[in-house]
Amino acid sequence: MWEAERLGVAVPAYASVLLRFDPLALAPADAEREAMRLALSARAAPAGTPRLVEIPTTYDGPDLADTASRSGLSVPELVVAHAGREYRAFFLGFMPGFAYCGTLDVRIVAPRLERPRERVPAGSVAIADAQTGIYPLDSPGGWRLIGRTEVRCFDPERDPPVLIRAGDRVRFLAR
Amino acid sequence: MIRILASGARATIQDPGRFAHLRDGIPTSGPMDPFAFGAANALVGNALAAAALEIVGLPFSFVCEDRRLVVATGRDVALRGRDDIAGWTAAFARPGETYTVIGGAGARFAYLAISGGITAPPVLGSRAAYLPAGIGRALRVGDALPLGTARVDPDRAGVSLAPPDLGASVRTIPGPHLDRFDEDAVAAFFDAAFRVEAASDRMGTRLAGPPVTAKGGEILTSGIVAGAVQVPSGGAPIVLLADHQTTGGYPVIATVIAADLGRVAQRLPGEVLRFARVDRERALAALRADRELLAAIA
Repeated sequence: MWEAERLGVAVPAYASVLLRFDPLALAPADAEREAMRLALSARAAPAGTPRLVEIPTTYDGPDLADTASRSGLSVPELVVAHAGREYRAFFLGFMPGFAYCGTLDVRIVAPRLERPRERVPAGSVAIADAQTGIYPLDSPGGWRLIGRTEVRCFDPERDPPVLIRAGDRVRFLAR
Repeated sequence: MIRILASGARATIQDPGRFAHLRDGIPTSGPMDPFAFGAANALVGNALAAAALEIVGLPFSFVCEDRRLVVATGRDVALRGRDDIAGWTAAFARPGETYTVIGGAGARFAYLAISGGITAPPVLGSRAAYLPAGIGRALRVGDALPLGTARVDPDRAGVSLAPPDLGASVRTIPGPHLDRFDEDAVAAFFDAAFRVEAASDRMGTRLAGPPVTAKGGEILTSGIVAGAVQVPSGGAPIVLLADHQTTGGYPVIATVIAADLGRVAQRLPGEVLRFARVDRERALAALRADRELLAAIA
C-alpha cells in the first residue's frame, strides 16, 4: 500500500515492515500519520493459492550427518522431515534472492553453527533455528548445510531477478 | 565516450542506488559518500541521479573523446591534466588529453563525474554496481564508457565547492533499539572514541573500541537502513553503508544521519570515529542544507 501510494519503498520482514521515504518531500510526522492510517486499514492478504516453487535437492551437505544425529534422527529421517513439508517464504533478506522459509519440523530445529563458514557455495540448502533457505551466491554463512540444488535463486539478467518471492510456497524435492 | 587508461584498485559505476529491489534482498549500493557523489554531478551540471565513478586506490587515468566538464571529489583528491586542478572544482577536459584523478594520504572514496553522465545500460533499474552479486564489475584498463548529452557548456569550468571536513564526530539519532541497551551503555557509546578497522568495506565500517553491551540477544530480523550502528554480540559496532544487507538481526544503538554517511565512509583504518546525538529536526536540516547547496550550483 505504501508503495502503491508512491510514498516510498517498503521492506517486509517477519513481524515488521520498513517504510522508506524522502523526508524532504514527506515530513516525518506526515509519514508516521500515513503509516498509521495504512496499518489501521490493512487487511489480510487476499485469499488464493500462492505460487509453489519446487527445489530439486541433493541431500549431501557437510552438516547433514551432524544435524541428524543432534536431532536424534537418521539421515534419511532428517531428509524426510525436511522434504516432507511445504514451507512459506516469509521474506527476503541477507543477500539477493535469499528467502527465509519456514517453519521446520520441530525435530530438526537446530541453532546456527558456532563458527560461520567463510565460504558457503551458491545453491547450498541450509537450515537454522526453525528456518530453511537456499544460498543464492557464494558467501560467508552460519546456517547448517544439509543439501544442494542447481536452481538459481538470483539472476540479475532475469525479470524478476529472484526465484522465490515473499509469500510463495516452497517445497524441496529429494533426489 | 571515456576510455580508461589506469583503473585504480577498484573503480565502479555508481548512481544514487537501486531502491526498487530491496524486498528481493538486493542492497541499494550507490555511493559510499553520497554528498561527494552528488556534488560531483552538480559541479558538472548533471542531474543528481546521473551515474559517475567511485574510485578506490588512486591514481585513475582517463581520456574523453569529446569536450566535457570533469570533476574529482571525495577526500583529499585532485585532478591532474596539463595543469593540476583542485578537487571539487569543475574543469574543461580537452578531447584526447589524459587526465588523472590523484589522491593524497587521506584519499579513500573518490568520485569522478563527467558532464552528460555515464550511460552504461542499467541493471534492475539502476547503474549502481554491486560486485558481490555480479551486478556491474570493477572497471579495467581499456574500458570505454558511453556518456550522455552534456547539459552545460564546457565554459562552466572553474565552478567549485569547498570540500566538507570530516568532522570531529558524526551525528546520529539514538535508536531505534534503545530498549536493548542500558542507559549506561548508551552513555558510554556516545563518550567512546572508536577506531576504524581495516576490515571495513562497502558493506560497512567496522569499529574497535570499548565493547558496547546490548541485552536480550538478537532481535527478530527486520529491514534496516544505511547509517544503522549495529551491535553484534561481541560488542564491536558496525556502521552499515552502501552495500549493507537489506535486513538485519542485531540491535541498532544509533543511526548516523544521512548527511554524515560520507564522514563515516571516508575515515581510513586506524582513524578515530566518535558519535554525537542530534534530534530528527537537526538531521533533516543538515540534509536540506546539503541539497540546497547542490541545487544552487547545479
